[in-house]
Amino acid sequence: GEAMSIQTYNGAAIIAMSGQECVAIASDLRFGVQNQTLACDHKKVYRMHDRLYMGLSGLATDAQTLYKRFVFKHNLYRLREERDMRPQTFASMVSATLYEKRFGPYFVEPVIAGLDPEEGHAPFIAGMDSLGAMETAKDFMCAGTNSESLLGVCETFYRPGLGPEELFEVISQCMLSGVDRDALAGWGAVVYVISKDQCIARTLKGRMD
Amino acid sequence: MSRRYDSRTTIFSPEGRLFQVEYAMEAISHAGACVGVLSKDGVVLAAEKRITSKLLDPGHKLEKMYQLDDHIICAVAGITADANTLIQYLRLSAQQYSYAYQEPIPVEQLVTDLCDLKQGYTQYGGLRPFGVSFLYAGYDEHFGFQLYQSDPSGNYGGWKATSIGAKHNQAQSILKQEYKKDISLKEALELTVKVMSKTLDNTTLKPERLEFMVLKRKQT
Repeated sequence: GEAMSIQTYNGAAIIAMSGQECVAIASDLRFGVQNQTLACDHKKVYRMHDRLYMGLSGLATDAQTLYKRFVFKHNLYRLREERDMRPQTFASMVSATLYEKRFGPYFVEPVIAGLDPEEGHAPFIAGMDSLGAMETAKDFMCAGTNSESLLGVCETFYRPGLGPEELFEVISQCMLSGVDRDALAGWGAVVYVISKDQCIARTLKGRMD
Repeated sequence: MSRRYDSRTTIFSPEGRLFQVEYAMEAISHAGACVGVLSKDGVVLAAEKRITSKLLDPGHKLEKMYQLDDHIICAVAGITADANTLIQYLRLSAQQYSYAYQEPIPVEQLVTDLCDLKQGYTQYGGLRPFGVSFLYAGYDEHFGFQLYQSDPSGNYGGWKATSIGAKHNQAQSILKQEYKKDISLKEALELTVKVMSKTLDNTTLKPERLEFMVLKRKQT
């Protein structure tokens, strides 16, 4: 086919949403190279610790490498500090790591979702571009090859103060309908709902096209 | 004797000794004792705390024991500041391996990494050696549970039971008598307590003066 931009080489859809004392983060499961789909079990959400998850959209190889680098950094942090990183601290570290490569960047757009242990497990959501320009949000964050559609459905279906079960329903509907307009994302989805005491992962069956 | 040869680490004395290395080990022999015992279900490390003042606020940290990675811990004896630097190095080394190979670092490789660094300080640069000995306890899928000891010369060995720090010779002879093959984790723990109680002054032997770390498989 025709040449594709590096940001659309693999394809991805990521949504993070905040609720009442919980957050949810979801990604599609497609792994493809340009127009060819190669796998439908490729998650783009990574666990940093029990209350901190990160989604990485964009070029898959960069997402994998970055995840390994963050595990490296977080492991050393945890050994020194004897505690897990707060979500905002982690987000700042991600931003700094991306900016280090300002003139030869990683082609990823991260979305971070977690609960802040120091502020009574308050929900935290943030997203950034591939150079590390960060924005936090109270409601939701989207990234991927069709982030405009994802933002559209989130804007429509989201409301504040949702509990874990309701948040799961809302984020799942947004993900499944959002990816239907994207040829490069979809083929199922995975949703993590993170509360103070547990994290529940669920796989969604969607249109496999 | 031969004092003119001890000002630089990088040269031998006429008798073939490296005085700075020996002096480093002398410093360690005045430090709080550490004992390690290997069993078939895990490794026990015990250490004697040297609390210099009631006013010291230790926080939550253990004084002489550190976690190096998910599967390796260590106990130190000697100059604390030197130990802290080396602990940082060990943790970094373990993560660099994990990053490169996407698997936990084999225990002996981590020990070797540090010993290569320590050896460098006995041969190059004209800097003094690190005044620390380590006991490492770890598990990997290649060799199961392991116990290692390293010293300022950069030499290391694998042990079934060993000790470093003050009165380590006494502790070692007790271990030699009491250690038995196929010792269980519980018996190993009891053995370390026994060794500590026999080598430490009775007047100073209190629960607050001892630290323990046990490395074992997670219950699944």
